Amino acid sequence: MHVLIVDDSRAMRSILSHILRQLGLEVSEAANGREALDRLQELDQVQLALVDWNMPHMNGLEFVRQVRADSRFDDLRLMMVTTETEASQLVTALEAGANEYVMKPFTKDVVQEKLKLMGLLCDVTVSNA
Amino acid sequence: MSELEFITREFLLESCENLDQLDRDLVMLEQDPQNQEYLAGIFRTIHTIKGSCGFLGFGKLESVTHAGESLLSKLRDGELQLQAETTTGLLSLVDAVREMLANIEVAGSEGSQDYAGLIETLMRLQAGKSDCDARAGNSSSSGGALATEDCGAGHNGGGSLSDEDARANRVTIGEAAPGGVSDSTIRVDAGLLDKLMNRVGELVLARNQILQSSSMASDAELLSTAQRLNLITTELQEGVMKTRMQPIGNIWGKFPRLVRDLALQCGKQVQIELEGKETELDKTIVEAIKDPLTHLVRNAVDHGIETPAMRLARGKPAEGRLVLRAFHEGGQVNIEITDDGAGLDVERISQKAIENGLLTHDQILRMNDREVAQLIFAPGFSTAAAVSNVSGRGVGMDVVKTNVEKIGGTVDVQSVPGNGTTIKIKIPLTLAIIPALIVTCDGDRFAIPQVSLLELVRLEEEQARSGIERLHGAPVYRLRGHLLPIVDLRRELELPPRAAAGPADLNNNVVVNIVVLRADDRQFGLVVDAINDTEEIVVKPLGKQLKGITVFAGATIMGDGKVALILDVLGMAQRAHVVAEDRERSLVDQATRPTEQHRDLRTLVILAVGDRRLAIDIALVSRLEEIARADIEGADDRDVVQYRGQIMPLLHVGKLLGIPHADAQVDRPLQVIVHSQRDRSVGLVVDRIIDIVQTTVEVTRPANNDNLLASAVIQQRVTDLVDVPSLIRRADPMFYEASVEEAVVA
Repeated sequence: MHVLIVDDSRAMRSILSHILRQLGLEVSEAANGREALDRLQELDQVQLALVDWNMPHMNGLEFVRQVRADSRFDDLRLMMVTTETEASQLVTALEAGANEYVMKPFTKDVVQEKLKLMGLLCDVTVSNA
Repeated sequence: MSELEFITREFLLESCENLDQLDRDLVMLEQDPQNQEYLAGIFRTIHTIKGSCGFLGFGKLESVTHAGESLLSKLRDGELQLQAETTTGLLSLVDAVREMLANIEVAGSEGSQDYAGLIETLMRLQAGKSDCDARAGNSSSSGGALATEDCGAGHNGGGSLSDEDARANRVTIGEAAPGGVSDSTIRVDAGLLDKLMNRVGELVLARNQILQSSSMASDAELLSTAQRLNLITTELQEGVMKTRMQPIGNIWGKFPRLVRDLALQCGKQVQIELEGKETELDKTIVEAIKDPLTHLVRNAVDHGIETPAMRLARGKPAEGRLVLRAFHEGGQVNIEITDDGAGLDVERISQKAIENGLLTHDQILRMNDREVAQLIFAPGFSTAAAVSNVSGRGVGMDVVKTNVEKIGGTVDVQSVPGNGTTIKIKIPLTLAIIPALIVTCDGDRFAIPQVSLLELVRLEEEQARSGIERLHGAPVYRLRGHLLPIVDLRRELELPPRAAAGPADLNNNVVVNIVVLRADDRQFGLVVDAINDTEEIVVKPLGKQLKGITVFAGATIMGDGKVALILDVLGMAQRAHVVAEDRERSLVDQATRPTEQHRDLRTLVILAVGDRRLAIDIALVSRLEEIARADIEGADDRDVVQYRGQIMPLLHVGKLLGIPHADAQVDRPLQVIVHSQRDRSVGLVVDRIIDIVQTTVEVTRPANNDNLLASAVIQQRVTDLVDVPSLIRRADPMFYEASVEEAVVA
């Protein structure tokens, strides 16, 4: 499975991609929403995007809205990466079409469980088997 | 490097970059508290750090950034108004985060420092106007005490979350934040760029060689290939140079914070403006001017700008302005630091210069205000009435000047009393490849950096024979009415003197080529055999064995593959004693200087013998006398006179030192310096007593047994200090011994 990480922090991208690769996933990165939209058009196998909330150029919420407005990305699953302070805005994001969220700081286990909840990791395990 | 180490490194790099920006944003925010753009940027930085450190296990850093984030989110949402106290709290937050990051970098953990106090402060600030207090937003900090309890407790239990829930829809998230270019850039190790630059330098040299040899070839294909190589090399060189360019804003970034802190400390109000932040400079130069610029900014705030009360009394706004401006001009970068403060006090500077023995009263009178202002760059010069905590840390304007000149730049000061001071710095864009004038001397080529070059003078025929005069033994040339000290490159480099029929003999030949150079605000003429051409040369440092030779700044390889040495114009001028060496003392690399230098304030009698200028310490002089020639008597083949009831031997200084001098004028009395030791005296006969000066003496060439003279620069002229005891011993080995014996007997 191919995952796109959308986060303006290099460190955060490294952390996420470290975890995802440990889970056996293929990873691409984008530094903001606008760049993420471009990447999505280049890479057609992306199944999941992990989306940071607060980014320059195009923030996470706006990215979610744009993705959901484009029928080409109907199959794309979106997971918001938020913090406690942003928790209040989660409803807005979920309403806009995000599928899941994970709260910072998180561990590998949390991410894994969330992916399983979304049925994404199961798919991988099955296809690997 | 393990992946975790890699992630930590990324985290550190990113956080440090963001914090630099944050410092600037915070200060800007203080001036424009409503600016959402700055707030969003600041919030995001702290937020990002907090987000990552949880994963990396930096719990302490997380709790500090968490407290900061909560405060920032209230500011961002308009629930709190920014006050000086808030900014100070946020700046301490930044400091704490920096401290922890530094510890993480070194030791891998946040360190043992306890930040509970800071967290408490941040909580209190946040509570100062939180929902539990007065939402109206006009609360004073006194209302905070009660609120602290409420919200502090609530926060620990995660209660602040509900506060935030309540205003979920009012949040505007950083859409106004300016875009970074980080998306399209990569990070490259600076060492790699240095290596690349070095290789390109080699390539330029190889290109020059190929161009030179191909210009003689008839092969058309080779010629066109060489031309293409030429073009590509030039483009590559420009490209690589560009990668080393950094905007000056990188070092200016810290100034708003610095100025803010200084101003608070000095009880002043200062607004800093930065113009031309994007002006680019070579990395090495950016590093080299960082400290001088910081010093100048400190100075401007500490000494330049007055206190608000004084400013108001003078009809100026209470808040002072400090403007930093950078721009390109004529292949150089200009940096101006302007304050609208009190300006330089010319009177005080003059007074101080006289007190320090830097200049005499007469010399000051001959100077205009502008020249006096330049005195602030003299070593050890400070007019600050009190050494404050801010300035006066042992680094003076002389070091600023030295450091700027070290990279081939110049510093100038302009000041209008009551209106402010402007310091202008001009520095070259790069040090790696510089334009230089190539000259020849004794068949070897030398490169002279163009920045020091003023003009070229060619003397022919009659002019060449008589153009160079001697003044007090030093060769000079009258250039448009000004005396230009002349230095012969051959003599300075101890090359064989020109053959009598040579093209540029100083005394009696047909052509003299003078390169007029500027060193340390003084001009001098360098006589060379021939002047060739100007060229772009690639500067190669000298090996460390040769570093001590101050007349050379480096080496370069010429088109024909031969090495040419690059002359250090200032070093050359000092070696030839055409400029004062005082500044040398303050150079950091003093330890590496080969000659020992002594320096202290002494009173000297300046005298002339033949065409030499000599000096004798006044401590060794008991009287200055004029003695009629008729009074001289001979005894034991020696001149003696009766002096105060004693027989005093006379020693002719010129004869003893082997200084050739014109026949004395018989009709004039002898000029005699009387030196006494206990009850014995000796008279030193000189041609003329010129002056008595109090000055600092920098011995540049110590006396030895063969030479009783130590050279120094006094009143900007080369003067030889006479070793009087040795001189007298040479004539009368028993002079001192006898008095010692007598002393013992007595």
